[in-house]
Amino acid sequence: MKECIKIRGIRQRDVKTVPVLPPRLTSETMAKDMTLWWGSGSPPCWRVLIALEEKNLQGYNQKLLSFEKGEHKSKEVMDVNPRGQLPAFKFGDIVINESYGACFFLESKFKSQGTKLIPDCAGSDNNCALIALIMQRVFEGNTLHQKMADVFMYNRRVPENERHESAFKRLKETLTTELQMWEGHLKKTPGGFLAGENFSMADVIVFPSVALLLRMGLSEDKYPKLAEYYKKLQGRPSVKATWPPTWKETPGQELLKDI
Amino acid sequence: MAKDMTLLWGSGSPPCWRIMIALEEKNLQGYNQKLLSFEKGEHKSKEVMEINPRGQLPAFKCGDKIINESCGVCFFLESKYKSQGTKLIPDCDAEQALMFQRVFEVNTFGDKMGNVIYYNWKVPEGERHDSAIKRNKEALTAEVKLWEGYLQKTSGGFLAGKNFSLADVIVFPAIAYLYRFGLSEERYPKLTEYYKNLMNRPSIKATWPPTWKETPGQDILKDI
Repeated sequence: MKECIKIRGIRQRDVKTVPVLPPRLTSETMAKDMTLWWGSGSPPCWRVLIALEEKNLQGYNQKLLSFEKGEHKSKEVMDVNPRGQLPAFKFGDIVINESYGACFFLESKFKSQGTKLIPDCAGSDNNCALIALIMQRVFEGNTLHQKMADVFMYNRRVPENERHESAFKRLKETLTTELQMWEGHLKKTPGGFLAGENFSMADVIVFPSVALLLRMGLSEDKYPKLAEYYKKLQGRPSVKATWPPTWKETPGQELLKDI
Repeated sequence: MAKDMTLLWGSGSPPCWRIMIALEEKNLQGYNQKLLSFEKGEHKSKEVMEINPRGQLPAFKCGDKIINESCGVCFFLESKYKSQGTKLIPDCDAEQALMFQRVFEVNTFGDKMGNVIYYNWKVPEGERHDSAIKRNKEALTAEVKLWEGYLQKTSGGFLAGKNFSLADVIVFPAIAYLYRFGLSEERYPKLTEYYKNLMNRPSIKATWPPTWKETPGQDILKDI
């Protein structure tokens, strides 16, 4: 709201008005307008946490909830996300409950601060090639996450009388093929990150899934490139700052040791 | 520019259709394209595998850049050709955020639709259960009702508000798929209005699946 201050000149005719502008909206102020509801270890939630750190938006409000206690179905979450899922993300009146959507929106709105997660295409052929590879990996990340969830969540999603060893076996084989594909991606892409030499949106989206694989017992010997990538990114400030708290407290599992 | 692009696609496949709509909207007509048949297994042909080792369509090349993920191609095209054709990513924060929300909800929508329409194709005979079929149908019904609700609440006629955006590029083909497979027009008036409105958009008319013009649809979804 603009207020105008009248400055009296010497003569009545010289009365001037000077508009008083609202304080410049810093990203710190804007971060305070953001709220993230999240669960520890959930890759979709972790993606948004990493993006917020990379874009220098520390200072956002956050609430850690428990999937085990069913808090993702609480009224508080349902009010923001009628699907009753985490992450749920609000920025002023804006609501984005899709992790990819929140990450893309943050990159778009805060393009000029923090890490550049998606380069600008215009005028640079190299950048265009980079964007293409980033987009390819970002969206393949969906397939990876789905195939992982099919295995991890099998017993939760499929009622007991509908479960089949043959089905579970097939899902594990599908996941194995998928992981071998990502191992191959990392072998073929020099630079250490998913899209080459620089950290990008591809890493924001996919690293949490890779971390979960290792947490669930993926063999570092069978997947050396994935293990190398995992260890490299573990040290990144945004990843360290957002490491799932429950993972620090309890050991992982061995579900994937034979994959 | 367009002549540097090649799209391998299948008729009716929503992921393929998204890219074709995006190419039209960005005035990139003139791209090379090859229509392949899923029935004949052409998506597993050497030609496709060379571009997309996953043996899936769409497979897309722009010069030597390859992107085989439909949403990835759409975002890439909007980024590279930002200043031509239709503006697909709105500038206004609220509209842009809603666009991103709807774009990424398409995955769960597509999954639930596939679980019903392709149940027998995905699940071997010995693993099928009526209880699963029923559950899948209920999940799809809930999902369709959600989208009906979105269109009720969002004024402007498009998924993100008053402008056509990437949300429509990406989600419309999935909605059209519902009707192709027999969704009741009366039960979902807002979805039907949206479907009929966008059917006439030039980019959509130009890319309407050829096989849909030749053969009637199915009615698997008539009770949804």
